[in-house]
Amino acid sequence: MLYLSQVLGRPILDLDGERVATLRDVIVRLGEEDHPPVAGFVARYRRRDFFMPRWRISQFAEHGVRLNSDVLDLRPFMRRDGEVLLARDVLDKQLIDVDGKRVVRVNDVQIIEAANDWRVTGADVSLTGLWRRLAPAFMRSGRPVEVIDWADVGYLATDAATVQLKSSRGKLARLHPVEIARLAEAFSYQHGAEIVESLDDETAAETLEEMASERQAQILGDMDEERAADILEHMSPDEAADVLGDLPEDKAEDLLNLMEDEEQSEVAELLPYEDDTAGGLMTTEFVTLPRDLTVGAALARLREMAETPNMIYYLYVVEEEASWKLAGVIALRNLILGDPSMSLEQMMRTEIQVAHPDDEAAEVAQKISEYNLLALPVVDESGDILGIVTVDDAIEILLPKDWRQRLPRLLG
Amino acid sequence: MSEPRSEVRNVGRRILRRSAQGVSTVRRTVARRPRLLTYLAIIGPGVITAAAGNDAGGIATYASVGADYGYRLIWLLVPLTISLGIVQEMCARMGAVTGKGLSDLIREKFGVRWTAFVMLALLIANGGVTVSEFVGIAAALELLHVARYVSVPVAAAAIWWLVVKGTYQRVERVFLAMSLVFLAYVVSAFLAHPPWATVAVEAVHPHFEFTSGFLFTFVAVIGTTISPYMQVFIQSSVVEKGVRVENYRLTKIDVWVGTVLAIAIVLFIIISTAATLNLHGQHVDSAAEAASALRPLAGPYAEILFSIGLFGASMLAAGVLPLATAYSISEAFGFEKGVSSSFREAPIFLGVFTFLVVLGATVAMMPGLSLIRVLIVTQVINGILLPVILVAVLKLVNNRELMGTHVNGPVYNIAAWLTTIAVSVLSLLVVFSTLFPMAF
Repeated sequence: MLYLSQVLGRPILDLDGERVATLRDVIVRLGEEDHPPVAGFVARYRRRDFFMPRWRISQFAEHGVRLNSDVLDLRPFMRRDGEVLLARDVLDKQLIDVDGKRVVRVNDVQIIEAANDWRVTGADVSLTGLWRRLAPAFMRSGRPVEVIDWADVGYLATDAATVQLKSSRGKLARLHPVEIARLAEAFSYQHGAEIVESLDDETAAETLEEMASERQAQILGDMDEERAADILEHMSPDEAADVLGDLPEDKAEDLLNLMEDEEQSEVAELLPYEDDTAGGLMTTEFVTLPRDLTVGAALARLREMAETPNMIYYLYVVEEEASWKLAGVIALRNLILGDPSMSLEQMMRTEIQVAHPDDEAAEVAQKISEYNLLALPVVDESGDILGIVTVDDAIEILLPKDWRQRLPRLLG
Repeated sequence: MSEPRSEVRNVGRRILRRSAQGVSTVRRTVARRPRLLTYLAIIGPGVITAAAGNDAGGIATYASVGADYGYRLIWLLVPLTISLGIVQEMCARMGAVTGKGLSDLIREKFGVRWTAFVMLALLIANGGVTVSEFVGIAAALELLHVARYVSVPVAAAAIWWLVVKGTYQRVERVFLAMSLVFLAYVVSAFLAHPPWATVAVEAVHPHFEFTSGFLFTFVAVIGTTISPYMQVFIQSSVVEKGVRVENYRLTKIDVWVGTVLAIAIVLFIIISTAATLNLHGQHVDSAAEAASALRPLAGPYAEILFSIGLFGASMLAAGVLPLATAYSISEAFGFEKGVSSSFREAPIFLGVFTFLVVLGATVAMMPGLSLIRVLIVTQVINGILLPVILVAVLKLVNNRELMGTHVNGPVYNIAAWLTTIAVSVLSLLVVFSTLFPMAF
């Protein structure tokens, strides 16, 4: 087993054991493999860097590298697509440890020889790894190291390689969107955006919803517009409307126009409402059922739904089919436990709390918390239901989430 | 009969129809966002950081400059404004372009050994400043006849507890408001009727002495005005604010406005002490003398006014500095960080923080210590270590790989390197004159 820090700067020897150059960097091809193989080396000779392919090397050990020929090819080094330089792109950089769900800094890189190949197996993130590079050899301790398995590296925050190389969709997707959002916010805005971009549309949408709204707008605003529109379609309409409201007018319009008709109209109608009102908080995804339906028929209808909204714990009973006039509310629990032949109007509660679109957000949140509701319907002056404000939005107002406490807010 | 799901979607369509504008409503909503808000959202880092420079060490240093040298050092404020502005602007620009903090960049571009060296310098400099803040707390309360053996441990315990419990941010504003009392120096300077003509002449008339006392004061002024921690501060607050290259122009204005405001306050502190203390041949040996420069304004209440300001400014920085240092070091070396972590989870982060608070409190309680002297010595240490940070900042800001087209221009570079070289030479002279006092 080798550590990158031990081999950097070591001599490169030819067949006769003559020093021909110095080892400058180790090149790795990141791909589908869990432990990417070493593809070659960057050698330095007379202040010039040149490339040394893997097949020219016969030996790679702590004391240096040995070539298998005397012929030296002095082609200057040029980074090729898909190549990552361990010293330059990995060492001292940050990465996401999917297993530990955290961002760590690489103090050293572990390389292991296996089946006639050298492979990157892990990133040393321990104090011992740091000490190995700081202290002279005789002071090194034999303390155990803490190594992140390369297979658990979900994202590598370097400025060089392309996105596909640095992050593996599958690995990050093992995390909950809340966790991905928290990790992404620990990086610079460029890297945070890359992380979101590397996710599939649905996970990206869920992850964005967990981030601060200015950051959501920044990330979507900088993204390819088609892609941004796809992600917006997967976001809940109220969140999507909030993001669009935070973007510059032209950009918001462009993105909205790229969205599919259905999602577009859902979002568009939420846009006119001010951010801090019930209208601005509400989502339009909810279930309405006519009052003359039986409990059994209602349950059957819920099952038939192609896509159920997230919030089906309350079912909103309206006066008749295709009407929006709110008559009452039934909790899903009562519906399941109730007599299937009973009609909804017999079961529904008519004494219900409602909000109006212009009500202040804080008041609405207060009401939800006071009455222990999961959602509060928003109705217009004629009593038609426009949308619902769900409890998660209320919590956000009552307890603003402060992921950004990474650094103390310096001086107020 | 329509399918349930389509009912869900119909809600949207129906309202859309009713509002009858649909997509075009975007224009209205978005256009309503006022420009001023955008500016206010971005203003802050520069002004706040520059204002933070006027802490206990700053006040003591500027007051003793005014008392000892009258108006003769006012010229220094002109190059100091330029240097401070340039240095702050470079860090703010790095924050906006890279989205990363200064210690992040140092680690990623310079490797472990240089990072260790720079972080050690930062730790010593910030340790010194933390000491000065606790000395400030002691001095402020001694004016109100509270012994420092009481005030310092209580303040240290309070700060430690507030920060670790995460409630420091709430009291921060109180301290910030208290420190605004120092604006009284501006009024006081006018009321003291200084000879404005002399002030104007001295502003363009460089004065320098090759004595160890002068060099000491000179470096203290530089060290307290362009403190190493301010570079770390401004960059991380720019990053935290989410400022980016596209809207960086506003931050640049903010940085320069903050710089000019901060130096203006320095100017008035020097004028008011020069017009009162220097006139009577008094030196600043204690907080009481520094406070007496506020007499033209506050009369007998000068000491109370001064102690309120000093207490607020010192408490503010005594909490923020150890915390920011712990963050910098943890960030650079990749240690676990955050005030909500336990000692087992983040031993180094909380260790550094606790160490600095304890160190500051302990030094401030040493018997027989001249408080004002300590305040100035810590600023000299700042000045001596400043070149280390400046060189790192300059190397980073000129790195094309990092900054792309946003590297320094030639004029900027010349000014910045001149600052670095001048500060380095002065620092060496101070070290030399301290080691070999005979030579001067």
